[in-house]
Amino acid sequence: MTQAPVVFVVDDDPSVRSSLKFLMSSVGLQVESFDSADALLQRKLPDAPSCLVLDVRLRGLSGLDFQRELAARNCHMPIIFITGHGDIPMSVRAMKAGAIEFLTKPFRDQDLLDAVRIALEKDRERRERKKEVSDLKERFNSLTPREQKVISMVVSGMLNKQIADQLGTAENTVKVHRSRAMEKMRAQSVAELVKMIDKLESSVEP
Amino acid sequence: MTAEAQGVGRSTEPIDLQALVETIPALVVCALADGSAEFANRAWHEYTGCSSPELTGWGWHATIHPDDLPNFIQEWTVATAAGKPFETEARVRRADGEYQWFAIRKALAVSRDQVGEPSLRALIACEDIHERRQAQERLQQSEQRWQTAFENSAIGIMMRDRADRFFAANRAFRDMLGYTESELYQLCQLDVTYEEDRELNLELVGELWAGKRQHFQIEKRYRRKDGTLVWVRNNVTLVPGTGGAAFFLFTIVEDITERKKEESERRSIEQRYRVMVETASDAVVCIDEKGAILLANPATTKVFGYDPADLIGKPLTMLMPEYLRKLHEDGFRRYAATGQRHINWQGTELTGLRKNGEEFPVEISFGELTADGHRIFTGFVRDISERKQAEELRASLYATQLELAQVSRLTTMGELAASIAHEVNQPLTAVTNNANACLRLLARRNLDPEVLHRALEEIVADGTRASAVIARIRAFIKKAPAERKELDINDVIQEVLALARRELSENRVLLELELMKTLPLVLVDRVQLQQVLLNLIMNGIEAMTAVTDRRRTLWVQSHVGEAGDVLVAVRDSGSGLGSEGDHVFTPFFTTKTNGMGMGLSISRSLVESHGGRLWATPNSPHGAIFSFTLPAAAGSPP
Repeated sequence: MTQAPVVFVVDDDPSVRSSLKFLMSSVGLQVESFDSADALLQRKLPDAPSCLVLDVRLRGLSGLDFQRELAARNCHMPIIFITGHGDIPMSVRAMKAGAIEFLTKPFRDQDLLDAVRIALEKDRERRERKKEVSDLKERFNSLTPREQKVISMVVSGMLNKQIADQLGTAENTVKVHRSRAMEKMRAQSVAELVKMIDKLESSVEP
Repeated sequence: MTAEAQGVGRSTEPIDLQALVETIPALVVCALADGSAEFANRAWHEYTGCSSPELTGWGWHATIHPDDLPNFIQEWTVATAAGKPFETEARVRRADGEYQWFAIRKALAVSRDQVGEPSLRALIACEDIHERRQAQERLQQSEQRWQTAFENSAIGIMMRDRADRFFAANRAFRDMLGYTESELYQLCQLDVTYEEDRELNLELVGELWAGKRQHFQIEKRYRRKDGTLVWVRNNVTLVPGTGGAAFFLFTIVEDITERKKEESERRSIEQRYRVMVETASDAVVCIDEKGAILLANPATTKVFGYDPADLIGKPLTMLMPEYLRKLHEDGFRRYAATGQRHINWQGTELTGLRKNGEEFPVEISFGELTADGHRIFTGFVRDISERKQAEELRASLYATQLELAQVSRLTTMGELAASIAHEVNQPLTAVTNNANACLRLLARRNLDPEVLHRALEEIVADGTRASAVIARIRAFIKKAPAERKELDINDVIQEVLALARRELSENRVLLELELMKTLPLVLVDRVQLQQVLLNLIMNGIEAMTAVTDRRRTLWVQSHVGEAGDVLVAVRDSGSGLGSEGDHVFTPFFTTKTNGMGMGLSISRSLVESHGGRLWATPNSPHGAIFSFTLPAAAGSPP
């Protein structure tokens, strides 16, 4: 059961911080604000789609440094930068590091809300993808080693007979392993199984 | 009785002595043995104009000069007593009262009267020797005079014989040598002649004695008794002795020690000057009134590349580039005619031309000398290429500094802007966010009055905060004039000219500086004022780049304006403002292909921010004048 999305705000200016919270609450978003990056890192992040509205100029760790720090902690929460006086090199650097948007204060409220929406959507997708892969991984791990071996050979395009030859067993035995593995993986077809294995292999997260 | 009287007594014939005596033309008195006169002859009467009674007896003594009479009587008495002949000289009064010299002798005569009784008489005869005596006196006087003149002459005079021995030397000569007369007469002339001068002296003296010459002149040295030397000029003449006397050398000796000393001093001064000129590292070139080179020292080769000998007689203009020649000729002619100098004679910077065609910066000083009615001008030319390079290096370093200062100022401005933006944007963002949130809630009719109240409070607080930021910035900007300092504007002009020097020389622009020496100080930002001046000067130079038919001159002037403020004018002989005169101060207006059109606009703003004015007027006959004023700093003396 996933929780409601959360928008985190980090800005060292209390009035900006509270106005951002007010603005986003007014459209029904759940907002949590912090006066520094460290304060946010203290909090256990919820298991819900979330994004971060981050001021570039902060006391202590700067916004851009914080972005790098989060990535290093394997936290992939989308970031929207806001700045009182941004320059082009700064925004390029932020966007290259994966920021959703780079807004210069004072920004149009709609621009911020749009960016937040996009960010939360992205995070939701990311989270769903992550969930799907972990389900598949769970199913795959429930297979016996023999079944794992057989389906990896099936996915690589080998026929049952070829698999039986290579494993030195009967073709029928291969057929049994195969159908049991398909069932455990909840795959309706070989094509679906191929997609699943593909997702598993490509989801080795950084 | 004397033998004489006895001799006379031999005759017995009666002698009429008087009749006899009367026939003698000389003055004769016949006296008795004691000297009293028996009678005087006619000649005596006639000469003295006296009657017989006046002369007889002792009366005739009265005709002898009273000064001579005692001596006369004395000698008479002595001679008579000794029985010796009497002869003396005395003056005898003439009828007109004048006295004449006579030689008076006595002769004894026997007179026999009618009875034939002899009696001894003295005949006193007077021979007129007046002329001879006078001649003698004159000679004596003349000799005395000559002796006095000889002795007292300021010029040394001496005489020596054939053996070279002194036999006469006057005081001046003796003093010159420091010897007494007797010491000197023990010496030969050669003894006192300085060793080195002897040979020549001997030779010339030899020629005199050999009759080859009558006279010679020699400058030589004597060694004085105290060992020191004295320079003399001797005029030596061979004089034949009169009346068969020996020939001797007559020498006039002039002490020329002082003159010799002066000469030697002058020579040594000349020598020193010559050495200075010959060894000077500056080229020294003398020219005549026509500008032709009379002399050039060896350094001329080093500076200009010409052999000094090749320059003699050539015009001075060959040492300067073409474009300066006419200028020089005009100036030189004007100076020769009016004495008016058109350039500074001490240390003017000009351009020289080397033999190889290279132009180079020189510093020239001039001197003028009138010799024998001709004017000679001497120029001292120093090659200042290296100094100029150093100056340019310094100027470029300075320019870099100035640029850096401006860059850092811009950077500071940029940082300031960023800071301002951030400071103001924070509350603005909060205000917008809060207001937008309210609008959204209002749209959904979901705005709780309490929420609205809190939001509005925050909006007010942030608005106040934003205006506080603005107020803070304003206060900061007001502090900016702290950069202003009291400066002499001439210093700033010189600094900027140092920056523009290369541009001036590369564009062959002649700079005419007319800076008033005692200007009131101005309270200015040095860098901003430099920007204004540099802008005006560079504009002036650029305005003249197309000028080829006249001299490119840039005048920079400073003086006190009518209102007691400081006025600076930058004047060029360029193309002028034309019909665009009104627009030059408009931002983004430019006549240049690569101009921004901001220089004059910014310059005007800068001048106005200092409380001054900047304006443009046409220059006559060509070019433009850009002038600006700056108020005198408070407390600065006008």
